[in-house]
This record gives sequence, C-alpha cells and structure tokens, in this order.
Amino acid sequence: METRILYTLLVSTALVFAACGKKDEPKASPAPAPAPSAAPAPAPASAGIAVSSVTAGSAIGADKKVTIATDTFAPTDTMYVSVDTSGTGTAKLDAKWTYRKGNDVAVVKEDSMTFATTGPATHEFHVSKPDGWPAGDYEVEVTLDGRSAGSKKLTVK
Amino acid sequence: MSDDMPDFANVKGGSSSTATKVYVVVAGDSLSKIAKREYGNAKEWNRIFEANRDILKDPDKIYPGQKLKIPPK
Repeated sequence: METRILYTLLVSTALVFAACGKKDEPKASPAPAPAPSAAPAPAPASAGIAVSSVTAGSAIGADKKVTIATDTFAPTDTMYVSVDTSGTGTAKLDAKWTYRKGNDVAVVKEDSMTFATTGPATHEFHVSKPDGWPAGDYEVEVTLDGRSAGSKKLTVK
Repeated sequence: MSDDMPDFANVKGGSSSTATKVYVVVAGDSLSKIAKREYGNAKEWNRIFEANRDILKDPDKIYPGQKLKIPPK
C-alpha cells in the first residue's frame, strides 16, 4: 500500500514537472495576408523581345529548332528557318523568301506570325514547292516588328 | 523582272511556334477555318475556343479584329 502511494506521488510529481517544463507550442504564424491584387499589367511592349538566332535547315524538331542545319537544299526539300527569341511580350515576325537570278529577284513566299510569350521561344517558317525548287540562289529574311532580325542565303542544287 | 523567272505561285508555306501565336480575325473567318490553317485540321477548332474562353462565349461568334490565342501545336 505504501509503495502504491509512493508510486502515485512520484508519477504525479513527474507529471507536474513535465507540465511546468513544457514549452509553449509555437504559435502558428498568422497566415500571410493575401498579396494585394496586382495592378493591371501594362500592355507588354514588343520592344522587350529580341531575336537571338536565325537558323536554316531541312528539318525541325517538335521544339521548332532545326535538326538538320544546312544552307544547301535539294529541289524536293522543305526549307525551314528557325528563329529563337528572348524576352517577353507580343511581337510580329515576318519571313520573306526570295529567289535571285542575276539581277532579278522574285518573291517566293511571305509569311508572318504574331506571338505572345513570357520567356524564350522558338518559331519556325517553312516553304515547300510540290513540283520542286528550281536550282539557284535563294534568301530568307526575318524581320521582327518590321526591323531586320537576320537573313540566310540558301542554295538549291 | 525577266520573263524567264520561275513560277512560285504554288509554293506552300507555314509557320509554328513554341509560344502562343496571336491571330487577328478577319471577315469570313470561323474557328474551323483558323484551325485548318493553323493545325491542318478543322476539327481542332475546340482547342482555339478553349484557349479563348475569356473572350469567346459562343464558338460561332467571332468578329473581325478579335485577337485569338492560338495554342502551340
């Protein structure tokens, strides 16, 4: 009986000390106030986008990058030009494909695309001719918002 | 230009991008026509509709001058 009472006292004392020594639970930090609503973003300026590279080739991958880089094509090839851009915003890319014979120049095809991006992006333009390209000298010129961004001289043999 | 220049009238061209293309609607357009031009498949019009639900309520009602987001292929 005395042992049981002593045991009970010891346990009770231990519990009291444990309770006293227990540190306060860290209070949960107040939930951060929701970020204030962003002010309406200004219209992205296309001046924030720049062309970083222009590559010609006869094939591209799903990432729109040229997988077979070349400036010499066979008459049955599709000609591609891949354009890497950096920056964010909206911009317009144009590709003008031309054929040169002596002093004469013929426009083969002109295409354009407007795009919106929040980071680096890759774009491609391509041309094909069902009955085959005439042999000779070609060129593709790429412009960004009307400003020349690069060109490639191409040859069909 | 001299007469012996080749004829490039049948040249086919196109473009695509990893970014979201923006297409400005012109008179006579429909989402099917735009999908055919952008994806080569008119049946993919719904991709364009879904990407532009913020400005399109009815896929049959698009207007010249509207700027539509064209998701990458």
